[in-house]
Amino acid sequence: MKAEQPRHVGARIQRFEDIRLLSGLARYIDDIRLPNMLHLNFVRADIAHARIVGIDSSALADIGYPTWVFTGEHTAGLSMKAHQDYPEMQYSEQPLLAEGKVRFVGEPVAVVLAEDAYKAEDAAEHVMVEYDSLPVVGTMKQARDASLPPLFDGWTSNVIVQRQMKGGDLEAARTAAAHVIKRTYRTQRQAGVPMECRGVVAHYNPADRLLTVWSSTQMPHLVRTYIAEELNLPESRIRVVAPDVGGGFGIKGQVFGDEVLVAWLAMKTGRPVKWIEDRREHLVASLHARDHEHTLEAYVSADGRLLGLKADITVDNGAYSTFPFTAAGEPGMVGKVLPGPYDLKAYEATFRAVATNKCPIGTYRGVARPSAVFSQERLMDDIALELGMDPFELRLKNIVREFPYKNVLGFTYDEGSYAQSLEQMRGLLAKDIVDATASRASETTRIGVGFACFIEQTAHGTPDFTRRRVPIETGYIAARVEMSPDGEATIDLGLQNHGQGLETTMAQVAADALGILPENIYVRHGDTLTTPYSVGTWGSRGGPLGGGAVHIAATKLADKLRAIAAHLLQVKADQIELANGKASVRGNPGNHIEIRKLARAALRNVDQLPEGMTPGLEAHASLDGPRDGSYSNAVHAAVVEIDVTTGKMKLRRFVVVEDCGTILNPLVVDGQVRGGVVQGIGSAMFEHFIYDAECQPLTTNFADYLMPLAPEIPDIEVHHIETPTPLTPLGAKGLGEGGAIGPAAAIANAVANALGVGVISTPLNTNALWKLSQHIREAV
Amino acid sequence: MTEITLEVNGVTKTLDVEPRRLLADVLRQEFDLSGVHIGCAHGACGCCTVHLDETPRLSCLTFAVQCDGSSIKTVEAMGGPSADHLLQQAFKSEHGLQCGYCTPGFIMTLAPFVDEAIASRRMPENDEIREAMSGNICRCTGYHGIVAAVRKAIGSGLGENA
Repeated sequence: MKAEQPRHVGARIQRFEDIRLLSGLARYIDDIRLPNMLHLNFVRADIAHARIVGIDSSALADIGYPTWVFTGEHTAGLSMKAHQDYPEMQYSEQPLLAEGKVRFVGEPVAVVLAEDAYKAEDAAEHVMVEYDSLPVVGTMKQARDASLPPLFDGWTSNVIVQRQMKGGDLEAARTAAAHVIKRTYRTQRQAGVPMECRGVVAHYNPADRLLTVWSSTQMPHLVRTYIAEELNLPESRIRVVAPDVGGGFGIKGQVFGDEVLVAWLAMKTGRPVKWIEDRREHLVASLHARDHEHTLEAYVSADGRLLGLKADITVDNGAYSTFPFTAAGEPGMVGKVLPGPYDLKAYEATFRAVATNKCPIGTYRGVARPSAVFSQERLMDDIALELGMDPFELRLKNIVREFPYKNVLGFTYDEGSYAQSLEQMRGLLAKDIVDATASRASETTRIGVGFACFIEQTAHGTPDFTRRRVPIETGYIAARVEMSPDGEATIDLGLQNHGQGLETTMAQVAADALGILPENIYVRHGDTLTTPYSVGTWGSRGGPLGGGAVHIAATKLADKLRAIAAHLLQVKADQIELANGKASVRGNPGNHIEIRKLARAALRNVDQLPEGMTPGLEAHASLDGPRDGSYSNAVHAAVVEIDVTTGKMKLRRFVVVEDCGTILNPLVVDGQVRGGVVQGIGSAMFEHFIYDAECQPLTTNFADYLMPLAPEIPDIEVHHIETPTPLTPLGAKGLGEGGAIGPAAAIANAVANALGVGVISTPLNTNALWKLSQHIREAV
Repeated sequence: MTEITLEVNGVTKTLDVEPRRLLADVLRQEFDLSGVHIGCAHGACGCCTVHLDETPRLSCLTFAVQCDGSSIKTVEAMGGPSADHLLQQAFKSEHGLQCGYCTPGFIMTLAPFVDEAIASRRMPENDEIREAMSGNICRCTGYHGIVAAVRKAIGSGLGENA
């Protein structure tokens, strides 16, 4: 990029998508209405583990309106298959509708279709399912108890997968250690909760043999491929559309059985079929997250060098493996990322996913890393306490400072600002640390300061998925940029926008290359009919890979514009600059031609083109992630105030120092960071999906499943360091998830600091804090 | 079926509805107002907030038949298709929205709060602003941009250079 050109990348541009969202003109999944449409209601398991004895829908004969019922007998053989090809992994499938057994409360057993959503819901209540109950596997401990029968025929235990990763000489580290610190940390089960529930509408048109599926999804192309393969249809005859999507957070970054089922039903019935998930269904049966237990053993030298780390990781996966990240994804991610930002020479992790009679676990913002960082950063504070070291000093002693850095498992970290961000945070917290110390004398109110330092692998590329043998298989994003004869441009993008602002940021990227204004660029996405095949929006890849692909494609197009301009202005192409809607000769701005005239020449007045140049103005690019991804880094800090007489905690401050490389749009980046942080505060303090001993869900509405509301949240202070990565075209690293990764660790460290106790689990709600502050009340 | 008459965004319609039908569903379907969003259908998230006789009300907890003879306003009537209501414009400039699903509910909850602050010529504290939106859940923004948008809207209403 040349200095004299105005740069749109980096500018705080207000979002183009906002007007339709603010005015009510946006169209979400429930706004899709088709003539002659049938509405679907699920009959779901109300018992966690049982054999299905019989399904009786005879009562529907007298209901007085037409209904259609389908069960697992009709859909036999159709299933979700989510397997990683490891010899250690036990195979399982989830039938679209339960066949023979149910394995969690909420599992779909049958569907009822009717011509009105209210009627379909009424009718579903007339379908009687008789169950023969089986003992539940309800906890990690029960899942590892060999005396309890496995959830699936042919399995030898309820450990779905157990693997190991290691590097360096752990035995030598143990022998050399002056201190061995061992702790077990627990993070709770959560739901992801986008404000819009999920939903699917499907319609089959026999005239052109086209199946159209609208779904509130983050990954339309992957939904298309799965439906094609499962229903044995040509993929060219399936169109998947993600309309406006009301939040996803990874929860909508899976392919779900209901997407296949609704498509199948539309073909089966010959009528459009619509399913809109309600909130109870979403909480109970869409997808859960977290639910980890980590036992860590650190080997530390007398002066605070982290010599080695041993980890044992268990994730309560629930009943089924989800597509495409599978049951092996969550524990594998912990195993991979625990070395974190520290220069660790010896490491060994054993990690497993276990099956229980609960809703399946899947990807939710941060994916395993909020739990991993909770354990890693709690451990660092516990080590500091044991050695009598300042927690900043301990981290600065062990932090990675030389880049690129090859970690103990062989992953290469690109340039970051780890030490600098720690130093900056220490400065920002200086006064709070004084206040916290002063509060130790108080019998009622304690102040605590805690922070968490972490890195986040973003923009994962194909090699990362190949290594993991995961069905996602690849990680690239493609973009096609086209200019029309009027000089305006269109980007057809393989990402899908569910709040990230990419209708604006991607236009900014293309505008810089093309020399036109972002508002003259229309970004289209979320529709497989118009966009090039890509994996969708997840895993913090929109900015680095989507932005990178747009940049490459737009640059190709700009090269052609320059060639045409050079021909018309009788100069060399490398003398042409594109900016402000004009192609100008460098050093002679008076000699210029408007870009729209170049577009007109390329597409209409093609006789003006240089000899041999083909007409047309479009370019395509796809960009895969770097081999080991690109690592963003951040330090999060919380200052808490705890009323030890009641356990009530107030967040006085929450501060972020983050580095996501090149910032495409600060308005959007700050929004992503702050939104992620508040979800992380939810993980730390409020959100807990609870089952009873029979695996009956207890938190099935928003009165029981608590999320952060505005009064509980302070202003989130965000500070940026920009270390562009050489691994992506714009220097951008991913940042969508990072905000959610640090808060549980930072807040737990602040609580430990305030109360002078070890904190080993989340959520840190009022109940938990009341218990943790008991020793202070007793001392009074 | 019960016959009711509703005035919605200035348009009056008489229609037959089942007594059990939610106001949210009737607004979405019979009046084709896609800006009315259902987030929880149990009155806890505020997504479905509309004005019923000028007062914010949860349309997922209200039956349409309860509103016979009432005047209802939805987000579509706040600033039209260009969203040019003061508060909508402030949401845009302060990044008070991301996915947009909860946004109409926030706008309908907060617009009277903004009007009242302007009428009483007083900029509320951030705590008061946060309390005013405590019946609405936003999962994307962390509320930061929404608080800033309310301040900005009130500031412009008070004639400050917010």
